[in-house]
Amino acid sequence: MENLLISLAQNLFPIFGLLAVGGAALMVASRQAVHSVLGFLFAMLCVAGCFLTLEAEFLGIAQLLVYAGGIVVLFLFVVMLVELTKYKEKDIFQKQTKVALLAVAGGLLVVGGALRNALFGPAAKEALTLRPEITNGAVLGNAQAVSRGLFADFLLPFEILSIILLVALVGAVVLAKTERV
Amino acid sequence: MPSPNAVLIISFLLFSTGVAGILIRRNALVILMCAELMLNAANLNFIAFARHSGSVGGQAFALMVMGFAAAEVAVGLAIVVALYRRKATVQVDDINLLKG
Repeated sequence: MENLLISLAQNLFPIFGLLAVGGAALMVASRQAVHSVLGFLFAMLCVAGCFLTLEAEFLGIAQLLVYAGGIVVLFLFVVMLVELTKYKEKDIFQKQTKVALLAVAGGLLVVGGALRNALFGPAAKEALTLRPEITNGAVLGNAQAVSRGLFADFLLPFEILSIILLVALVGAVVLAKTERV
Repeated sequence: MPSPNAVLIISFLLFSTGVAGILIRRNALVILMCAELMLNAANLNFIAFARHSGSVGGQAFALMVMGFAAAEVAVGLAIVVALYRRKATVQVDDINLLKG
């Protein structure tokens, strides 16, 4: 029992990652849109867990807040808003499904084969290096380190992102409002 | 600690699931969710390589990608709602206005 717990704790990343892939597969394969949204939510929670195991605590929490708190709720609202029941008898997959799945599998094989040294070579087996704050000598919190990167090194992209968010906000309101009002 | 190949393989699988979903599904909402999934797979790589290289820039950029994803989903869902109002469908193969 104890050994099982220890091995589980040592393999948190693959567990979370495979659960995320499972949630994504549920999202793609499920017939009901609400089930798709739930699969998406599960995948996002597991990706947040992956971020936490990679010691990116701030991003893990941000992932929970932005995706589970914001985007999934937005998706659920639109699913409720849009009448989807009349498509129940229709096929949920496109006509080109077989070709597309074959192409994706072929792409996986080709890229995986081309990168097999990077993916499975000896260098890839070493554990990831320590977090930068510890190796630099100064012990900072993860949020502090990220904000230093964000507001010192990447200030211009950050400001551009804020303008993009403003434009997206205005654009979403303009697109979604009725013409009669 | 996870090894880089575990991270790469997981994000590879997530990305290809997203690509497959975009290619095979008819529902525009599911296609938007698959695009979000692909962005998340890229974020996972950003964070793993930021850790590997010992710089924090990857994490800062992953946060930016999250912001872009939020903007994208807001506009995309507004387009879906506007489309539903005009054509009463969210199935992408019912929308063929550009077809000659």
